[in-house]
Amino acid sequence: MTSLFGIGRHQEAPVDFGLSPEAEELDQSRRNLLRGLGLAGVATAAGALGLIAYRDEAQAAVAAGASGQEHQWCRVVDLRACKGERKCVAACQTRHGLPPEQTWMRTLSWHDEAGEEFFMPVMCQMCQDPPCLNVCPVSATIKTDQGVILVDQDQCIGSRACMAACPYEARYFNWNAPAPTNKMPEQSPNTLQFPANQIGTVGKCVLCADRIPYSSDLPACVEACPRGAHFIGDLITDVAVNGQSTVRLSTFLREGNAVRFKEELGTNPRCYYIPGNGQPVGGPLEGVR
Amino acid sequence: MSSVMETSLATDGPADVIEAAMRPFRKPSKKFRAVLVVLAIVVAAAIGAYAYQLRMGMGVAGYTDSSFWAIYIADVVAIIGVSYGGAVVSAILLLAGASWRAPLVRLAEGTALVTVLVGAAFIFPHLGRPDRLVGMVIHANVASPVFWDMIAITTYTFATLVFFLLPLVPDTATLLAEHPDELGRGRRALYRFMSRGWVGSEHQRRVLHSATVIVAIVIIPLAVSVHSVLAWAFALVSRPGWHESIWAPYFVIAALYSGVALVILVAAGFRRGYHLEAFITKRHFVRLGYIMLSLGALYFYLTFADLLPSAYVGESGPTEIVYGMLFGSVAGWFWLFLVAGTILPIVLIALPWTRNIWGIVIASVLVVIAMWIKRVIMVVETSGYDRLTNSFGDLFHFTWVSIAVTLGGMAAIALLLMLLFRTLPLLSIVDVQELADSEAGPIEASATPARGSHVRAAGVAGAVILLAAAFGAIGVTSAQPARAAVATESLPIVTVTAVEAGPLNTVTAMVTLDGLPVEGVLVNFYESTTMFAPGDNQVPLGAMSTNATGAAAITYTAAVTGPRTIKATYFPVVLGDPVVGTTEFEVTEAVSLYSPTPPRLLATAGQTLALTLFGVVAIVFIILIAQVVRVRRSCGPARRA
Repeated sequence: MTSLFGIGRHQEAPVDFGLSPEAEELDQSRRNLLRGLGLAGVATAAGALGLIAYRDEAQAAVAAGASGQEHQWCRVVDLRACKGERKCVAACQTRHGLPPEQTWMRTLSWHDEAGEEFFMPVMCQMCQDPPCLNVCPVSATIKTDQGVILVDQDQCIGSRACMAACPYEARYFNWNAPAPTNKMPEQSPNTLQFPANQIGTVGKCVLCADRIPYSSDLPACVEACPRGAHFIGDLITDVAVNGQSTVRLSTFLREGNAVRFKEELGTNPRCYYIPGNGQPVGGPLEGVR
Repeated sequence: MSSVMETSLATDGPADVIEAAMRPFRKPSKKFRAVLVVLAIVVAAAIGAYAYQLRMGMGVAGYTDSSFWAIYIADVVAIIGVSYGGAVVSAILLLAGASWRAPLVRLAEGTALVTVLVGAAFIFPHLGRPDRLVGMVIHANVASPVFWDMIAITTYTFATLVFFLLPLVPDTATLLAEHPDELGRGRRALYRFMSRGWVGSEHQRRVLHSATVIVAIVIIPLAVSVHSVLAWAFALVSRPGWHESIWAPYFVIAALYSGVALVILVAAGFRRGYHLEAFITKRHFVRLGYIMLSLGALYFYLTFADLLPSAYVGESGPTEIVYGMLFGSVAGWFWLFLVAGTILPIVLIALPWTRNIWGIVIASVLVVIAMWIKRVIMVVETSGYDRLTNSFGDLFHFTWVSIAVTLGGMAAIALLLMLLFRTLPLLSIVDVQELADSEAGPIEASATPARGSHVRAAGVAGAVILLAAAFGAIGVTSAQPARAAVATESLPIVTVTAVEAGPLNTVTAMVTLDGLPVEGVLVNFYESTTMFAPGDNQVPLGAMSTNATGAAAITYTAAVTGPRTIKATYFPVVLGDPVVGTTEFEVTEAVSLYSPTPPRLLATAGQTLALTLFGVVAIVFIILIAQVVRVRRSCGPARRA
């Protein structure tokens, strides 16, 4: 009798579906009302369709003037060459005016059993199915026609959902006021391709996209590496360069047994790693079959 | 003691209710004012701290890249969570026909309303750029769980408001009729507006009851959706500890558990402050305590079910998270939560010696605090886990800013509740009167409990929309052979020819010395590219040794069309100058090895889901607005008689 949910039967029927004249009238008023509100519902649905179209428009705006049929940019990191000098990191920090704790590129290191140290630079992997893009509530992350993932720092509300979503920990937040743009060696025009860091927004590697198509300048990290570990490549023309030599991308990846980081997550990254550590690098001049 | 109170309720209940409902409207006591001032100071301090954070950046709140989500999102989850208490006590018990809920409903619904508003407000300090919040509407991403958080919270807040306001129509009319002078001018105007046209006719009561039941039915799945989508803001990313299928129901149960605890605390507070012992009795606390006990046991079970699979498999990420909770960096907090937040409250309610108002209130205090701690642990630990190094970075450090803002939020809940129930009646007069009438009658003896089964989860899922690019038109034209340039010198000569056969190009180099073929030398082949420093860049095609006829040939697939220079080199002397032969060549047919990423499975399903959800949300709003309009219409001049 004294059960958890009650001691007494309810006095009235919970919902009156009866067809007394009273109720019939009630029902009629309800129907009239719903007709009016139905129009509001149609408007809401139309608004929803508009929202879904937004990202496409934003991407089209960025891609204007360059076609995805001409270039699809990618990165190759030749780990055989990397010795952990972190000159790529430094060059990136300088170019983008980043504070020491905010690095768009990190060089991880491990020790093997023999005590030898391994290095691996990690930056935005330019995923083609980017988790960060999906979770951004304000469409501030976009994928360009040429496969580059960029952040619109003028739209970012700083929810950091993308930081949670990125499996490569490649995103960093401007927790405090960043260095003003005029302190940067090359003043940022505050475009998506070369953002000016703003307090309360997220930043990440932009592949120095302002230098696309990289015909005179390569990304800062590629230019900075004295050992040629960093390559910038184009999947369409099948060419990659590290500032010192040029390789045929497909051959280079195949010969080097290139792998992608966290392939199992289905992010389809556009960054290839040639595994190894300090082995003599089979340069292209020695030839490939 | 309590039986005496119940007797008095049964005899002179109706008069008592109106008198009790008027109590908060009298001149406030010194204690009331003092509490109000203290709470206001705490809230003002929080606003000051937040202003400081806005100016300096979120770094001053203790945030770093290894604790990118921390205290504020935990506050959002914890505070919006407790608002579910209002839904359970009011809506679920209404549908279950548990009429004993009557004296608690107004307090529970008010708590639900206030907490959902304060909880949602914590999204502001959580955001880096709250000034751009309008972006969530004008260029929203419907694939984002955070977007659906906003939709769910907005819808739920609106439903809570309707659920709170509808039953106030007859109550404000009653108070206006009974004590028009004592109400004061402001309340009188407000009550006149709210109860406009209400005469308590059979038709009006029927409409109101039907509307209330419909809103109660709607509010339960809405509350489930809010806590589910909050969970999916975490569970839809691949981080260990967050990426758990159990998280949505886990959050819903956590919300119910902490929500019932807060309702107990609010009921205890107002019962003491306004001497409502005649209405809110020990039996209310015991029943709410039982509900809390079952939810606590359920939460304990879900905690175990959440951790076991991660710990058992031994995958590095999830294992480290569980290890961190049991023995590692957050172990102290985790065990505090487990003991003080689940075991102790269960024991306090289960043991007959502590199953009294004090015991249950202490249990509720433990639950509310421990559940907040649990939310902080859940957020901070995973946020600090670096998936590249498989190690923990610096976990979140509390700073005075984040503590002040959080305390301000807690104070704001109490402050708003005190002010809310100084404006509106804190007892549901109609419900209490009905309860008193029914208890006075003979029905109680033959009563059988009616259990509702209206609780069901709304299927609201964060949509995944994938945008895949489609490229790849390949020109097909006719082949055209090219002739090699010839050079004559006493050094070895390299002559190059290139032949196109479809997209396959074959380049051949002839190495001769004084007209005789040179065998067994390695020739490197290059193709010019327009990429990366155009005109000067050579892509290696490979190397081949010459055969007995002095020829070396390789075949490759052209990636792009256009004019090319093919170069063949060989070094007659090691480290000497190479001998070079070149030929101009027009590539007319090419096949790029690039193929666009195929669209992910379920990509279109995500879009369909998002559109469906918009439809569901629209229907919910229509239903809620319709109930308000119905009740208002029933109060129109034509219906008054």
